[in-house]
Amino acid sequence: MPTPNAFSALEAFVSATFYSAVPLSIAAMGGILSERAGVVNIALEGLMLTGAFVGIVAGQSSALIGLAVALLAGGLLGLLHAFLTQKTRMNHVVSGLGINLLAAGVTRYLAIRLFPNGLHIAGLPGSLFLLLAVLLPVIVALLLSRTKFGLRLRAVGENPESARMAGVLPTLPRYVAVTLSGVLAALSGAYLSMADAHTFSSNMSAGKGYIALAAVIFGKWTPVGAALGALFFGFFYALETQLQISGIHLTLLGIEWTSPFLLDMLPYLMTLAALVSVVGRATPPAALGQEE
Amino acid sequence: MTGRLQRIGRMLRPLWAILCGLTIAALVMQLSGYNVREAYGALFTGATGIEQGAARGTNQIALSVPHYALKSYHLNTFLLAQSLAKMTPLLFCGLAIALGLRAGLFNIGAQGQMTVGALAAAYVGQWGIGKGDTGTLPPLLHITLVMGAGATAGALWGALPGLLKAYRGVHEVIATIMLNYVAINATTYFVTHNLKDPNSAAAQSARIAKSAWLVPYVAGSNLTAGFLIALLAAAALAFLISRTSLGFRIRAVGMGADAAAAAGISVPRTLITTMALSGALAGLAGAIEVAGVHHRFIQGIASNYGYDGIAVALLGGLGGGGVALSALFFGALSSGASHMQTLTDVPDSIAVIVQAIVIIFVGVRYVRKDSRKRRTFNLDEMQPAEIGTGIGNGKVI
Repeated sequence: MPTPNAFSALEAFVSATFYSAVPLSIAAMGGILSERAGVVNIALEGLMLTGAFVGIVAGQSSALIGLAVALLAGGLLGLLHAFLTQKTRMNHVVSGLGINLLAAGVTRYLAIRLFPNGLHIAGLPGSLFLLLAVLLPVIVALLLSRTKFGLRLRAVGENPESARMAGVLPTLPRYVAVTLSGVLAALSGAYLSMADAHTFSSNMSAGKGYIALAAVIFGKWTPVGAALGALFFGFFYALETQLQISGIHLTLLGIEWTSPFLLDMLPYLMTLAALVSVVGRATPPAALGQEE
Repeated sequence: MTGRLQRIGRMLRPLWAILCGLTIAALVMQLSGYNVREAYGALFTGATGIEQGAARGTNQIALSVPHYALKSYHLNTFLLAQSLAKMTPLLFCGLAIALGLRAGLFNIGAQGQMTVGALAAAYVGQWGIGKGDTGTLPPLLHITLVMGAGATAGALWGALPGLLKAYRGVHEVIATIMLNYVAINATTYFVTHNLKDPNSAAAQSARIAKSAWLVPYVAGSNLTAGFLIALLAAAALAFLISRTSLGFRIRAVGMGADAAAAAGISVPRTLITTMALSGALAGLAGAIEVAGVHHRFIQGIASNYGYDGIAVALLGGLGGGGVALSALFFGALSSGASHMQTLTDVPDSIAVIVQAIVIIFVGVRYVRKDSRKRRTFNLDEMQPAEIGTGIGNGKVI
């Protein structure tokens, strides 16, 4: 029979799993909107970092104002990605990398210039973001499957030529989708700085944008699937932390299986496996990354 | 007539992007209250080694300037050497990415391929180690083995996403991003376990034998024969692309996989070979960082070179000579920015901002309002048609 101590350890573990999944799940919803509309979005990483930075800077007097400004900044940067890929026909990956670099450079530069000694914030409750992380997949799923906008979005992502024939210009749904993906990625970044760390450090997104993208693929470009993927990856984060705290080591065949470096590899390996697996292979939207 | 205008337009495009990058960065510095002139002066000195004042000390050579310049200048060979040393891995990674793009493959994985190459090089570098790091192997042989190990490991790590693309239709951008993280974590695991440095708590390998060291040209700098190998690689790549049948196949696949297949070219084999060669170039960058700079594998040895290589390749227009010039620019910019940070307190991340703006301005394709035809000065002549459109995107080739 488990002792109360074991119960609280389990509770802590479940809580850590969910909270690790929160930023991944929220950003993944942004990734889904963009990619289902046919726009590759590796800019999630930079959009998250921007949200994290702006939230802290603008949230000094009021956290809610900070959050609003962070979402606005993410939306604007998302709009830039949409403009570059749609209007100037820039390669989607190049635009994404450019935005990631821009976000990394500008936030680091400004952080050193504006607050060399760090900037702290009372911030927002994590439970608010947890609620959003649970609700957003449902909302995005309904948006995609039940609304006219969702139908149009999927149409331009699968076959822009047919959409055009049917009278839907690919540009507008794509602009809206990529802008919204910027807002959602910034929301996820705001969680990292405003609810989790309560401060900003340079490059604090630390590859989470790419893991969110991995969750999108792992979930086969479906909102609920991606959220479950995020939860799955969150489980390994929590496991890693728990193993480190408890000091458990498992060495078998000369390999230390509990090493954080090996556990960190799992989300990436599983995503690769999902892409190559014979049964239920993950297939991207047909027109992803293509010009109309 | 139009042809010449197009050529001039293509040549001016990268310069325009650099100018925009430097101007916007200057505005950022001005608006945030730094002295732009002082900052760019320090950056220029760090980048080129040209310093004000009379030559003094061993690393300084007096420069003759016109008498009306009123000031005397000298060349600080150490600073110049550091710029060229920074250029070396950037050139390798830029070439790796340019080669992939020629075949229509976006190899975001140079970072991982370089890391894996560095670990293999550090492993082979410890062969025949004797007392006090001296090696028993002849230096030329040992260095060749180390370079070979780096290139082979990089090639294998690069061939993997090539295989996935050729036979399972997995988009190489996704596969290489995932493999980068796998490579970084796996190598860190090795240098905290099996290949750990016994004399340190840091995540690093033991030092390689002295017989595998590349000797710096300027004392104390990181400029070694690795720089010459990088230049040779640029020349070899230019030759490969334009003069060999493999180069022709690579370009043909890049222009259109279906047409290439119809012409009897084996698309899967070309994709895998290209990715392996691309990975080998990135792996060499890792081997040179080990043999010439750190003399061991350290965590984060690839710094950001693999991703910076994308900017290098795009700015350089995917040709051997262009990529070399572009690597020179970014190497000097990065080295100059560190010098600037030391002298003026302006954060060196200004170099990252310049790089981001350069990428965006090079990548933009200008579209005429009245027609869907693109304007003359664009990357289309340099870039294969299918970049990022994802050949094999979800479908098996």
